[in-house]
Parts: sequence; structure tokens; C-alpha cells
Amino acid sequence: MKLFKKSDLVVISAILLLSLGIWVWYKAYYSQTPVMAAIYYNSELVDTISLEGGRERDFSIGQNRNVVLRLYSDGSIAFVKSDCRDKLCIRSGKLRTVGQSAACLPNGVSVKIIRQKTSDDDLDIVIG
Amino acid sequence: MKDNAFKENTFKCFGQPDEIIHPISKKIIRVVLTGLLFAAAIVLSIAENSLQLPILAPGVKLGLANVVVMYALFFLGKKHAFVLTVLKALFAFITRGPVAGIISLSGGLASVIIMILLSIIFRDKVSYLILSIFGAITHNLGQLAAVSFIYTNLIALVHLPVLLVSGVLTGAATAVLLRFFIPAVNKLGLK
Repeated sequence: MKLFKKSDLVVISAILLLSLGIWVWYKAYYSQTPVMAAIYYNSELVDTISLEGGRERDFSIGQNRNVVLRLYSDGSIAFVKSDCRDKLCIRSGKLRTVGQSAACLPNGVSVKIIRQKTSDDDLDIVIG
Repeated sequence: MKDNAFKENTFKCFGQPDEIIHPISKKIIRVVLTGLLFAAAIVLSIAENSLQLPILAPGVKLGLANVVVMYALFFLGKKHAFVLTVLKALFAFITRGPVAGIISLSGGLASVIIMILLSIIFRDKVSYLILSIFGAITHNLGQLAAVSFIYTNLIALVHLPVLLVSGVLTGAATAVLLRFFIPAVNKLGLK
């Protein structure tokens, strides 16, 4: 088996173009709408918070006080404190675009950015 | 005596790949290599967790250790690749917990199965580079699928572009490293 063939470049370009396409489509389709943060505890929706900007504040959900989330005035949300070992949730940084998510798996807390619910279309909530 | 012939052939095979290798010594070499690769996987896993690498998607790791499974598939065969996948998942289960174990198993199995399918469908027409890239991509996708299954609300297409690109990069890096291993492995006379 050869290490590398000329035709490999075609496949690689196709993959990269596909990623670019998905990224562009996502940005175009979702960047204009106001967003909310959906907070889940162990797959159950606990709260939805509008990210429309406002005061910067820290909070945690009633089910698990070991995890602290912060709402920023620029309309993003992030994990800022957690008692987990790896701190992957905190390292995920600020979330602001629809579809972005972060989770503290050991604590069961996850946050997903969704569109502000103005109509009945439930495209962003996965049931099940 | 049979003993002497065995010893003779075992030591011969390291210097002269053209010699006929005693069938048992080949098996032993494979098992030893599997053990070494597992040790390498542990080291890579620890390294990946200590370095503060950027987060691609919730629960998804960069998959440095999956390189080991790819090499097992290329040099040792399907059985050993599966064994390593399970061993890695067990290691993740013991050190990082059941969720991490499931994610590791999911990514590892997806990667191995896709690579085996590709090598069966395309035979020799597929290159190591493409196999590595698809192995890396499906490893990430498998991990993401496991995370989405456990935490049912995190499925999102938004993570796909990042995973695809990082899969291409990781796969390319793996294939580049492979270039240095092939001559050494050929000398062992496993094929």
C-alpha cells in the first residue's frame, strides 16, 4: 500500500470544502437571530436564559451548586468555576453562536445556545 | 533438537528478513508489539490530558492515542487492532470513569471499523494517508456520537467543520510519522 497518492489531494480538498460549506451555511443561517442559552442538568432542561446583553452576573443552577456560569454583557455565557478534575467546561470558553455547547460531564451540567423562541418551530431542541 | 531450531530462528529473524521465520516467533513478536503499542497509547493519553489543548467539541479529545490503533491495524492485523481499541477503552474507564470509557470505545471502534471497510473495499488502491485521515475523522465522530447519545441535547452540526479539519490534520500527521516506522517494521519480517 502506498503512503500517499496524487488523487488523495482531491479527497482532502473535498473534505475541507465540505467543512467550509457547513461553517458558512451555519453562520449565514443562524447569526442574525437573537439567542438564548439552554441549560441542562443530566439531559433535562433546567432553564433558558436570554443572552440579549445586560449585566454581567454569575449564577449556578439549583440542582448543582458546584458549577458556576457567568453571563457576559456582550451576550455570551461561559463556565467559570467547577469542582471537576479536568476543567474542560471552563476551557470551552465563551459561547455565543447558535449550536455551540459546552458541558461539565462529571457534574452533569451542559449549556447549549439556541435561537430565541418566537414561533413554534422546534428545530434546535432534540427530543429523546 | 526442536528447542535449538526455535532459538535459532527467533534470533535470525531480526537480522535477516529473508529467512523463513518460525511461525510461533511471529506470533510472539505480534503480542509483544501489541503490548508496546498499548504502553505507547497510555503515554500519549497522559500527554494529551496534561497539555492544555484547544477544545474541539464537548467530550471530544484530539485522539493522539488512536494513532496506536491505526499502526496496529497496518502492521499487526485486525485482531490486534480491536484488542488495542478495547484495552484503551478499559484504561480510560479505569482512570477517567465510565463515561470516558464509553466515549473512547465508541471513537476507537468507529475508527477501526471504517478503516477496515476502506481497506477491504479499495484493496491496494487506498493510501495510508487517506486511511489515517478517515480513521482520525471517524474517531472524532464516534466520540461525538457517544457524547450526543449520553447527553441527548448536545447534537449539533456546528461541531462538524472543526472535527473534519482536525481529523485531516491529525490523519496527515499520523501518516507522516508512519513513513519513519515502515522500514523498521519491515525488518521485523511480520508480513
